Amino acid sequence: MKKIALGLYAVVVVLLLMWGYYQAIYVAPNDAMQGEISRIIYYHVPHASLSFIFFGVSLIGSIGFLAYQRSQPARAQLYDAWALSGAEIGVVFCTIALITGPIWGRRAWGIWWTWDARLTTTLVLWLIYVSYLLLRRFSAGPQMQTLAAVLGIFGALDVPIVYMSNRWWRTQHPAPVFGGSQGSGMDASMLHPFLWNMLAWFAWGVLILAIRFFVERQHQRIAAAEARVALEA
Amino acid sequence: MYQASVEGAILDHQFRVAAYVVTWLIQSGYVIWLAMKWRAQKRDAERLGIERPKTQQ
Repeated sequence: MKKIALGLYAVVVVLLLMWGYYQAIYVAPNDAMQGEISRIIYYHVPHASLSFIFFGVSLIGSIGFLAYQRSQPARAQLYDAWALSGAEIGVVFCTIALITGPIWGRRAWGIWWTWDARLTTTLVLWLIYVSYLLLRRFSAGPQMQTLAAVLGIFGALDVPIVYMSNRWWRTQHPAPVFGGSQGSGMDASMLHPFLWNMLAWFAWGVLILAIRFFVERQHQRIAAAEARVALEA
Repeated sequence: MYQASVEGAILDHQFRVAAYVVTWLIQSGYVIWLAMKWRAQKRDAERLGIERPKTQQ
């Protein structure tokens, strides 16, 4: 039953992504100043903002792991799987934001990169979570999950700094379009394609997050079984 | 002037396509990696005689 539900959800996600692409390419108008490169925002902005949500999942997982580590080890493992899955999907989304941003910047600003507050804090966020994944990949032992959880919590502290960076400091990065100063916002002809793409990429992110979570839970079961076999041998 | 604007539009198009292609390459690459991991785990689970919990069937 769950497999059928997952399959159906995957079909809906693919249809949403196709619809989002159609909206971004054929429905949204070219920006009067930027021309066609403005269409990069329909992919760049959803990836950047949704990475915050997935890092948030990782934060909740990390806190849950530390909270239940001693009292309920089985539940702690469940939280740990969420922490790892959230961090990994967050890194995938953040990587795309960090690549598509400079592609847009090269045409809009004439440069690939500049060390402004928004770009630098995003890069730091990405580096923290890549360190988190490397820690999990290359270290072992009972302390690994605890160290990763602490790193995951510290990494998440950068998320509000990234979000506020172009509000606190004057940056090369465009000012916030939503929740920014007076006059900020988006024309409806661009807003609808943008929201469709937000929804489509969110649905996609939830799908791969769920798959990653199941893979990690299976990994935990296999690791436990291998440990049992090793003890018996 | 016209020549410059046409070249600019072509460059804009190429940059837009590059951004979309990179997005899809990374996302699909990640899903393929996940699928390979899943298959490898299936083999390991069979080797160790692990069954998936009934709640996940």
